[in-house]
Formats: sequence, C-alpha cells, structure tokens
Amino acid sequence: MITTSGLTKSFDLDGGSILALAPLDHRIEKGAFVSIVGPSGCGKSTFLRLIAGLEDASGGTIELDTGSAKRPVGFVFQDAVLLPWKTVRDNIRFPLDTAGVRRDEGNRIVSELIELVGLSGFEDALPKQLSGGMRQRAAIARALSDDPPILLMDEPFSAVDLLTRETLNDELLRIWQRTGKTILLVTHSVEEAAYLGSEVMVMSPRPGRLKKTYTVDLPHPRGEATKLDPAYHQLVAELRQDMRETE
Amino acid sequence: MMSRFRPVFEYGVALALLTVAWWYASGPMGIPKYLLPSPQSTVSTLWDSLVSGELWPHLWFTVRNILLGLGIGSVAGIAVAYLLYKMPRLSTFLDGPLVVFQTAPKIALAPLFVVWFGLGLTAKIVLIVSLVFFPVLMGALAGFRSIDSRMHDLAKLLKLNPFSLFWRIDLMAALPGIFVGLKIGAVQALVGAILAEWISGSDGLGYLMTFASATYKTPLLFGAVLLTSLLGIALHGLLGVIEGRLLSWKVQDGR
Ligand SMILES: Nc1ncnc2c1ncn2[C@@H]1O[C@H](COP(=O)(O)OP(=O)(O)OP(=O)(O)O)[C@@H](O)[C@H]1O
Ligand SMILES: [Mg+2]
Repeated sequence: MITTSGLTKSFDLDGGSILALAPLDHRIEKGAFVSIVGPSGCGKSTFLRLIAGLEDASGGTIELDTGSAKRPVGFVFQDAVLLPWKTVRDNIRFPLDTAGVRRDEGNRIVSELIELVGLSGFEDALPKQLSGGMRQRAAIARALSDDPPILLMDEPFSAVDLLTRETLNDELLRIWQRTGKTILLVTHSVEEAAYLGSEVMVMSPRPGRLKKTYTVDLPHPRGEATKLDPAYHQLVAELRQDMRETE
Repeated sequence: MMSRFRPVFEYGVALALLTVAWWYASGPMGIPKYLLPSPQSTVSTLWDSLVSGELWPHLWFTVRNILLGLGIGSVAGIAVAYLLYKMPRLSTFLDGPLVVFQTAPKIALAPLFVVWFGLGLTAKIVLIVSLVFFPVLMGALAGFRSIDSRMHDLAKLLKLNPFSLFWRIDLMAALPGIFVGLKIGAVQALVGAILAEWISGSDGLGYLMTFASATYKTPLLFGAVLLTSLLGIALHGLLGVIEGRLLSWKVQDGR
C-alpha cells in the first residue's frame, strides 16, 4: 500500500545540509495501523510529510497504492492548524466544502464527527475559544471528514488529557477496524504505540533512520484486557529499551 | 458592551468641546462674521441647503467618488500585492520602485493628473485611486507575507486550486493586514476627493468650499467643512463596523 525505497530527505541549513532521513526502505500493508516512535528530531514528522507529498524527497521513491482517490491522505498536524476564521463546524466541513460535497450530506457527516470526537456544544466556537486538546480533536475530525484511505497523524494526542486520550485511542481503533484505513501515527508514548499499532516502527536520530520494526499480534478488539496482557508489557518494555538505546 | 460605545462617546466629547470653543470665539469673543461665522448660522445654512436639495448632488458626488476610488484602489492594491507575493522574483525588482512611488507626494501630482486625464471625472478618480492603492498594497503585502505556511500545507493536502486557495485561505488570512491599509487609504481617499474638486469641476463638497470662499459665503464654507468632517467620521465608522464583522475571529474577546 505504502512502499518506500531508498527514500531520503536532507534539508539545507545555512550553507550546510542535514540528513533528516537516511535511505529508508519499507512497506506498509493496506489496512495496517503503524505506530512510529523515536526521539525528538529523528525525522518522524519528515517521514509523514514525505508520504503526504508536503515535502519533496531528496532521493528514492514513495508509492501510494490508493487507486483513484483524489485526496489519498488525511493529515493531523502536530499543531492543529485550524483556520482561525472558521467555526469548529466549518473547519471540519472544509475538506467537504472544497470537494463539492452536498450541503445536507456534509452536515450529516460533520455532526457525526463532532459527536465522535466529543466536541458537541462547541460546533459554533472559533478555534481561539478552544483549548489545545479541543483544537486537536477538531483537527482529527477534519482529517476524517472526507474519508481518506490513508490517515497520517503526527502526535495527535499530545495536548489531550489522559482520560480523553484513552477514549480517543479506543475511538481511533474502532474507526480503523470499521473502515480498514491505513493509519500511521507518531507518538512519544511507547504504551500508546503498543496499544494501538499492528506494527511499531522505531526510529533513531542523526541521521534519522528506521532502527527496527515490530509486528504486534495482540488480539483485537483491544481494550482494558490488552493493558493487562503480559505480551503487551513485554512489547512496551522492549520499546522502552530501544528508545533508551537511541538516545 | 462599553467598548462598543466608547469611540462614539469620545467623538461626541471632542465634537462638543470644539463646538463650545467655536461658539465662544464667534460670539462672546467677537471675531467678525466674515472670518468666523457662528455655529448657529453655519448649521442653519447647512440645514437650508439640505432642505432645498441643492447640497445633495454635491454630497453624493463626493461620496460616490470616494467609494469608487476606494473600491478600484483596494482591488488593484490587493491584486498587485498578491502578484508580488506569488512571484518573489518580481518583487525583488519592483520593491524599490514601489517604495519610490509610495513615498512620492501624489497630492503634488494632482495638477499633472488634470493635464493627463482632463478636467472630468477620470482625473479625480485616478488621484483617489493612486492615494488608496499604495497603503492597501503595503498592508495586503504584509498580510500575505505573514500567512502561516502550515495553512498552505493544508491547502496542498486538500489539493485546492489556485482560485480556492486565494478566496478560501490567502485572502482571509491577509484580511487583518488589508484592513490596516484600507483604513489609511480611506482617509487619503477623502483628502484626494476634496482636493480633486478644488482643482477642477463644479460638483462636490470640495467645489462647494472653493465656491463659498470665492463668493465670501463663509457660513457655507464652514458648512461644507463640517460636512466633510462628518463624512470622514462616517467612513471611519463604516470601516470599523465591517472590520468588526470580518475580523471578529482575530480580536480577543473582551473577557
Ligand atoms: N523545514 C526544515 N528545514 C530544516 N531542517 C528541518 C526542517 N524540518 C525538519 N528539519 C530537520 O530534520 C530533522 C527531523 O525533523 P522532524 O521534524 O522530522 O523530527 P521529529 O522526529 O518529528 O521530531 P519531534 O518529535 O520533535 O517532532 C531535525 O533535525 C530537523 O532539524
Ligand atoms: Mg515532529
């Protein structure tokens, strides 16, 4: 579904150039849920931006096998990036409006999503009136609104309190299972990575590269039982160890 | 709520003080009528000419020219600013000349505009447009250049066409900057409109001033000046209302 071969990215930085991503060969199957962990600056955001086509590769190729989808990827940015002049509802509608979706159809989708991310009652609020976590949830709803086959999420829950975060994790798993989307999610939490992923990519810095990938075969649907599963704890411990080594 | 009435209140106090000083100077202080007519005679002259209908065409002429000039000048200013923003190479060439044009005293060029465009409407509109164009251009350019690049990531992701990109993102994001320019431009437009009417023609509040002073109709002169000031305040207030509507997302809530 997503195949990268020899994918590299370097940035020019006052005269010099820094390698943000060393050649990366990887294949992500359709319908996978890939968690990506790694220390700050190891190129996680860069990897997602390359897949989304927001950044041009310095070398190598990316293939997205998404057929005829006009907008193959939805993206949840590290900061929400809502349009400040639009209400929550209109921000979530934005992808639909610009795709020419019928108004009543759009309204139906948007109210479902608002319910889903728990923003009921804030439909008409402006982004400046929301907390960081609420903005982030609006951004998640926006990324889902035009139903892209690939969903890229860059630390989507970093500004959300623990309880909401767990709720959103479970919602995300449910959406994933229901829709069969391919999801890539960057996180700093190894627990979250293990809990959500069907696969975990561990990256290491200077230069950013893929250190290891784990296939996670914890059973689905996941829930409180998963968090008691010894296999889960084993994976979390291994990931934590990997992270320590990358420092 | 208080903050909405505050400007009205401030204008009111300033106007009242001015009127009292004026009344005192023309009355008790004894400045002769042909130099300084009393507020009462000014207002009654103004009132008479409003009622008789002879003032309306002049007022409308000036207002229309201002609105026309503001409209053309700001559309052109925003368009050129967007062009320069989209083509940084072009702007490295044009930034220098633009500063020269911007600082050039357009008012001083007014007679030249008359030579070039004749005594009619064209020269007047050209002058107003030239006065509005530059502040709006500069404000819009600053607005466009301060757009959060992450909004363009969003636009790229959604594969917005250039038209949508402009209307749905760039123009909206640049509105605060555009309004800074527009407010300066509006004051300039009023000055330009009056000046253009001094120079030529027989319409407008500016013409009324030259006519009144040439015929020593001082109350009429004062009336025209008063009306022009009120026009300026109205223009300012109108822009404030529009800005409040369009930029409510920008201003902090008064909480
Ligand atoms: N636009 C840019 N210009 C120059 N260098 C950049 C740019 N974007 C990223 N980099 C560099 O590329 C490297 C990887 O950055 P990236 O943002 O992908 O890291 P990250 O893994 O997402 O970090 P974090 O967890 O802190 O978000 C960093 O060293 C960063 O300095
Ligand atoms: Mg990042």
